[in-house]
Order: sequence, then C-alpha cells, then structure tokens
Amino acid sequence: MKRVLFWAAAVLVVFTFVSPLGWIYLTSLKTNADIYTQDLVKMFFFSPIFDNYVNLFTKTVFVREIINTFVISSLSTILVMLVALPAAYSFARYETGHGHLLFVTISTRMFPAAVAAIPFFMAFKWLGLLDTRFALIILYLYFNVSFAVFLLYGFFREIPAELEQAATIDGYGRIDIFRKIIFPMIKPGAAITAIFCFIFSWNEFLYAFLFTRNMARTVTIGLASFWASGQVDWGTMAACVCVAILPTLAAAWFMQRYIIRGLTFGAVKG
Amino acid sequence: MVNQGSDVMRQPGPLMQQKTGGGYPKVRERTFWSILSDDKYYKWLLLIPLILVLLVFMLYPLFYCIWYSFHEFGMVKAATFMGLENYRDVLRDGEFWLALGRTGIVLVISISAELIIGMAVAVLFNREFRGQNPIRGLILLPLLIAPLAVSMMWNFFLQFDFGIVNLVLGLVGIPKMSWFAPGVGLYTIAGISVWQWTPFSIFVLLAGLKSLPRDSFEAAKVDGASAWYTFRRLTLPNLAPLIMIIVLLRTMWLIRLFDPLYGTTRGGADTELLDWQIYRNTFVYFDIGRGSTLAVISLFLTMIVCGVLFRQLMKALTATSE
Repeated sequence: MKRVLFWAAAVLVVFTFVSPLGWIYLTSLKTNADIYTQDLVKMFFFSPIFDNYVNLFTKTVFVREIINTFVISSLSTILVMLVALPAAYSFARYETGHGHLLFVTISTRMFPAAVAAIPFFMAFKWLGLLDTRFALIILYLYFNVSFAVFLLYGFFREIPAELEQAATIDGYGRIDIFRKIIFPMIKPGAAITAIFCFIFSWNEFLYAFLFTRNMARTVTIGLASFWASGQVDWGTMAACVCVAILPTLAAAWFMQRYIIRGLTFGAVKG
Repeated sequence: MVNQGSDVMRQPGPLMQQKTGGGYPKVRERTFWSILSDDKYYKWLLLIPLILVLLVFMLYPLFYCIWYSFHEFGMVKAATFMGLENYRDVLRDGEFWLALGRTGIVLVISISAELIIGMAVAVLFNREFRGQNPIRGLILLPLLIAPLAVSMMWNFFLQFDFGIVNLVLGLVGIPKMSWFAPGVGLYTIAGISVWQWTPFSIFVLLAGLKSLPRDSFEAAKVDGASAWYTFRRLTLPNLAPLIMIIVLLRTMWLIRLFDPLYGTTRGGADTELLDWQIYRNTFVYFDIGRGSTLAVISLFLTMIVCGVLFRQLMKALTATSE
C-alpha cells in the first residue's frame, strides 16, 4: 500500500514537470485545426504533420537566429573561460583580495540586468554597436563572468594545494604546473562551467531583446516575435520552442549531477 | 605487479629528501618572468583580465546609471542635472509602489510555494527506488528551459478558448478562466515561475536531506519521536542554511523578473513588476532619468540580499571543501 502511494505521488510529480513539455512537442506536430479543437479525443489522436517545422525553417529567419545564437554563445563562453579560469585559480589558491574582490565579482551577477542595460545601450548606440553579434558577446561576457569565477572557485578549492607544492619543488615552472597538473584536474569542472555559460547565453532574453533588432537577433527573440504579431501562429511557435530548447535538453542529459551545483554557485553539491 | 605498485609509491621519495634537505630550490636568476612568478605578483597577474572586465563592465555602468538618475532627458535637448528630483518623483509615484508591491507578492507566493512543494517532493524522493536517476533527470528539465520559452508555453496552455488547462478544468465542471485578466494575471505569472523553479528547491533540499547526520535520527527513532516531531526538531534546523540559500537566490532572481512578463501579459493587466517598469520608462518612454533611478533603487534592494547571500555561500563553500 505504501509502495502504491509512493509511486502514485512520484508519477504525479513527474507528470507535473514533464507533461507541459510533452504537450508542446505534440502541438508542434499539429495542424491549426487540431490546435484549436476543443474535442479532447482529437487533441491526442491526430495525424502528425511536419508543416510547422518546414515553416519554421523556410518562412522565418530561424536558421539565422540559430547561427547567431550559436556563434554568440560559443564565443562569449570562450572569453568568459579565458578570464575566469586564471582569476578563480588565483582566488582559490592565494585568497587574493581576502574575499573582498570575490564579493565584488559575484555582486555583478546579482545586479539587476537593467543597471547595466541602460548605460550600455547609450554607449553601444554611440559606438554603432547595436544589433551586432559583438555587442551581445561582450554583454554575455559581463553576464557570465562572475558566475563562472565563483563556480570555478569551488572546483579549484577541491584540488589539493600539496600537489602543486610538490611539483614546484620538483622544479616545474608555472606553465608546466598549469599544463600538467592543474588543467587535467580542473577539466571536468571547467567543462561544466562552460556548458552553464553557454546555456545561460543561449536562454538569455532581456539583453538580446534590447540590443538586437534584426541582423544579430537570437533564438529567444525569434520566439518572442511570434507573440508580437496580432495573430499568433501557435503551431510554428511550438516548433520553435521544441528546436530552441534542444541544446539545453542535451546539456541536462549529461550534466544532471551538476545542475544544482551550478545554479547555487557551487554552494550545494547535488 | 606488486613491485611496480611499490615503485610508484616510492616516487615521491626524492621530493621528501629535497624538502627536508634544503628547503625550496633557490631561484637562479632574477629574470622578469621569475619575478612575476613570485606568488606575490603571480596571483595578481592572473587577475588582470578579470579586473579589467570588472572595471569596464561594472564600474562604468554603475557610475553612469547613478549619474543618469540625477538627470532629466528630453527627446532633443541635452540632459539637464536635476539632483535628487528623479528619486523624489519616483518615491511619490503610485505606480512605483504598486510595482514594488506586486514584486513583493510574487516573491512571497513563489518562494513559499516552491519551498513547501519542494520540501514535500524532496522528502518523498529521499529514498532509493527503481529508476531514480531518470526520474530525477526528468524533473530537472524545467530549470534549463529559457524562461521566455516557459512563459510562452504556459501562455499557450492557458489560452481562454482552446487552452488545454481550461479544457481539462471543463471536464470537472469548472468554468473557463481567463488566466491573464487583471487581478489573476499576477498570480498566474507567479505560478509559472513556481512551475519552473520548484525543481530547484526539490534538488537543493534533497541534497540537504541526504547529508543529514544519521545517528541523531536513529536516536530520535529509538526514543519513539513521531515523524512530524523529528522533521520539525531535527530535519528543519539542519536544512536551515540550504533554505536560506534558496530564499536568497530566488529573491535575487525574482526582483528582476522580466521574461515571463514578456511572454504573457507584457506588463498589462495589473502585472507590471519592477523590472518591467524600468524597461518601460527607459526603452518605451525614453525617460532615461526615471529608468535609471528605478534601476538604482532595484540595485539597492538587491545589494541588501546579496550581502547576506554572499556570506551564506562562502560559509557553504568553505564548510564543504575543508
């Protein structure tokens, strides 16, 4: 009896969090008639079509949006890692700044997005950088760098300092220590941090919304534009959601264990 | 095979000799690089990129945001200095207090719902059961979807005429609701964010439940304490730091809730929250002075949370790694 109750509750929980996604995937395969139907049987039993996906890829600028988002997210992630890796190492190993600088770093992440958005909007307008990929790459560097530093800080703290001391005594130089000792040990942590930065950039909306119009617009902007027109094309919108969240679903698959750790800036090891 | 193993074991030998023998090897010559690789300089050398980024991306916007908040911007004429007048206007503006109040409502509803549901599910899943890994993986999914996509999904489900939610409710005889009407929309938006973020609470609390000290629970069991008593007196106090982290992080994120509004009501129907008001003033009305003032106020509110949060995070990080 207890087992039955447990499984009933477990199924209910899973259903609550997964069924909306399932429903969106079903919707993306429906004709408009099937979307607007009020007949519950027809809602589940319909003949699937792929028109929505065809529309998405041929009649909208979705392909360009995907390419933009991919380029912006990858380049900004690389930049973030180049800045964050040495910084986090310095914080973790030498307590540089005695925590004050680390606090300043993390507080940028906690700034309301608008605080940065207004001055940068003025500056980018003046520099003619609005609606360029470069603008978003730079903004996402700002957006993610403090998160990456903090998360990597946690990972670096897990590497025992004795190893490096031993290597120093053995006559290894700084570069060799990094290449042969630190890097192999931080690689998993760095990969997780990078994937997080990529996902955060991929999902970001406010900056993309304010700083791009046309050429540099990203997937989330494409998604929002469905809602901007008077008559919402729900089928194509559903298809857009389905494709746009694929990278995050893939990431969820192999980062399961680290998602909570990432979201809590490393404080909780899930 | 055994010998090989012991060879490996012996390798640190020379290291130890050197250490006991003559301390660290002397640096042979003071080249530029060798000076830099002195710990004292090296640690700052590593921080140069970050400090540059912070200077450009933190001090610059912070300075200008505050600077703008002292100015009035016209469409054509140059900005004029107004002192604190923008702040006076904002604080006297009913709309600001409404938006702040709504943000508060969303904050309280979302966080308490997330904590209560999260705790219930965490307790439920705090055991070994078949298929636990795939099930946990599935529940994590909402966390990773773009908040904008989530809100548009729910906007679709909650459509008045053909939304699946109204149709299902119709089966049990509940009349159709318009979910984004004034007076309802705010709670719907809170609900959407609860759907997306409850998994976060579930997994943070689950991590906490798994690391609870076993013995005191066994002792409580031996003493014949009721399940509820154990939960209240043992589990909750032990989870307090984690609950704190959830509350603080969620507060921080909710203060700047924006995407779910864009995907649903667009700030209409009495759902305008603080961040949306900043956006509307700055980028729709081009009242940059007012927008910046609101942003500075929002920053001030966040900083209070942030200060407490940072201490909690550092405590958690140092506790687990040492």
